[in-house]
Amino acid sequence: MSVPMNVRAARAIMWTYLATGLTIFLLMLLLGIAMRAEQAGWITLAPGSFYSMLSLHGIGMIVAMAIAGLGTLWYFVNREIQLDARIAYTAYGFFVAGVVCVIVAVFPGHYGALWTMLYPLPFIGTYWPSWATGVWLIGNALAIAGFVILCAQMLAALLARYGGFRGVLAIDYVFQHRRFSEEGKEPPPPQMFAAAITAIDGLISSALGMLYGIAMIVHWIDPSVPLNPLWAKNLIYQFGHTFANLTIYIAVAGVYVGLAHCTKRKYHTSVPLVVAWWGTLLFVILAYFHHLYMDFVQNEALQYIGEIASYLAAIPVVVVTIFSGVMLVHRSGLRWGLGALFLYAGMIGWVVGGIAAVLDATIPINFDLHNTLWVPGHFHTYLLEGVLLFILGWMFVQLEQRSGTLSSLLTRWLVGIGIFGGGALFVLGFYIAGAAGVPRRYAIEPAPGPQMASIATIGAIIVLAGFLAMVFEALRMARLPATEANA
Amino acid sequence: MPGLLVLKIFLGVAIVAIAAMVAMALYGASSPVPQEVVFSKGYAVRRYWLVAVLVGAAAVFAISVPHFPYPSAATTGRHYTIIARQYFFALPAVIPVNTPVVFDVTSADVNHGFGIYNPRGRLIGQVQAMPDYVNHLPFDFHVPGRYTVRCLEYCGIGHAAMQGSFFVR
Repeated sequence: MSVPMNVRAARAIMWTYLATGLTIFLLMLLLGIAMRAEQAGWITLAPGSFYSMLSLHGIGMIVAMAIAGLGTLWYFVNREIQLDARIAYTAYGFFVAGVVCVIVAVFPGHYGALWTMLYPLPFIGTYWPSWATGVWLIGNALAIAGFVILCAQMLAALLARYGGFRGVLAIDYVFQHRRFSEEGKEPPPPQMFAAAITAIDGLISSALGMLYGIAMIVHWIDPSVPLNPLWAKNLIYQFGHTFANLTIYIAVAGVYVGLAHCTKRKYHTSVPLVVAWWGTLLFVILAYFHHLYMDFVQNEALQYIGEIASYLAAIPVVVVTIFSGVMLVHRSGLRWGLGALFLYAGMIGWVVGGIAAVLDATIPINFDLHNTLWVPGHFHTYLLEGVLLFILGWMFVQLEQRSGTLSSLLTRWLVGIGIFGGGALFVLGFYIAGAAGVPRRYAIEPAPGPQMASIATIGAIIVLAGFLAMVFEALRMARLPATEANA
Repeated sequence: MPGLLVLKIFLGVAIVAIAAMVAMALYGASSPVPQEVVFSKGYAVRRYWLVAVLVGAAAVFAISVPHFPYPSAATTGRHYTIIARQYFFALPAVIPVNTPVVFDVTSADVNHGFGIYNPRGRLIGQVQAMPDYVNHLPFDFHVPGRYTVRCLEYCGIGHAAMQGSFFVR
């Protein structure tokens, strides 16, 4: 049986995005290990080198997860609605160009104002040349352009396929449920909500991110054009937080499709699921206000909105998705291949990172944790033990399906201990140090930072070993002959 | 809320969540049942679970509001101007103990953070120091001693070394 041309082209795009994203992830992991080792006192880095590496690591990890996840999401949308592969490759080109610019800004440019580039930092008291700031800003703009292209393509296709926003957001399915069902209509499958919400919120936030980027580029060209620091802070955190947050909503589509495949069950769209996604649609673009809790000049009403939005962006969709995911697995008789293991462990990581995030989003708690190592604790849990695992899970579901085999028990233990066990040790170092008040983004940390950094470095090295074992296993499975049904 | 208490709450809730999810995956794994059997019970539970979690979140929000650190119209106290700049703070030498004070915090260059650590080295509060703006941070110190101030917003190559101190007497 031959595979249709469209399916082969879509798979090629998915694997291109996956391979690129995971390669960037590996490089950023190495940078991360070096920085934690420096904070532990194992190696010595000049502060300038540390902050340049931190700048690259921060943006690189988010972009890596976004690229890998978007390739998968694009593939899922393409299974429902045929998409033009050329547009996906065009977006890919923008992403790659953006990544190249960012790397040039850091090596050899030594840019070191982090992904936040809080105005006026990239222009005052810098230890890097002005051109590096410009190349960094242009690189960011190119990557955002790639994201916008994919979001626009997916959203246009979804609107055409499901009959506008009313159909995409399943409004009739919720408010006229009986009539909808009696007419034999079907709401979009769950993964389409992930695509729609990513596309809508992605476009809104990208517009704001672009506005900030252009304003910064104007200031870079003509320093006499001033920006308002509070306005700038709102814009960069709105875009940055939303983009980072969307990576999990992008990747969770792999749970809807992959876990259903592993358990041979169906992940249904339900009214609570749709309403939960509406909550994410509305609140994920408002949750960023929690980044400005400690800016007391910010309108106080926005601080209240920040706490409420932080809860409502995450809690409903996490509760509904994960509860349904657990039901899907419970007494299903699934065989625990690496695909299912990653997807299920990813849900656990999402919950754990979410608990830490919700605590930090509570203003009186944030008063003592804001910009401590607690913050990287929660988002490393979320990215490393959530987003990454969803992506790897879907990748292994594909490999297992293609080859008709599962990895050996030994391999599953090795990879599992490496990525889950090492990951847990790694993030624990952040949480304990953060709870003790150790600031984040310090090249040299006060106690107990160095002690916790030692534990975290060991954890990160174990993660690296597990990740490499996973890569070898993926390559081994990719070389196996395909079963007849998947040739 | 002290960071170590938050850590204990986090670890407690996280361990329960992990244990519950692992138990649900393993329980009855060797005796599979049709999806409808699991979902008919699960959907009924899920509705209440979702409502319970949202009610819990609403309760946490309601409890947290009175503890917001923002100054109100009723906030009074002796004002102290704090100016942050790359890479030091202009700080008062002494702050009176058991006396309401308000820190008027700003920056002369880029964004900084004004993080106050008590004599035991615990972070007890903070506010951002932003150029062109003044953030007012009300505080009441009950324990005398030497307090350290650290920058809690990345501000450049000297960020980790940016600190100062004052005495509470």
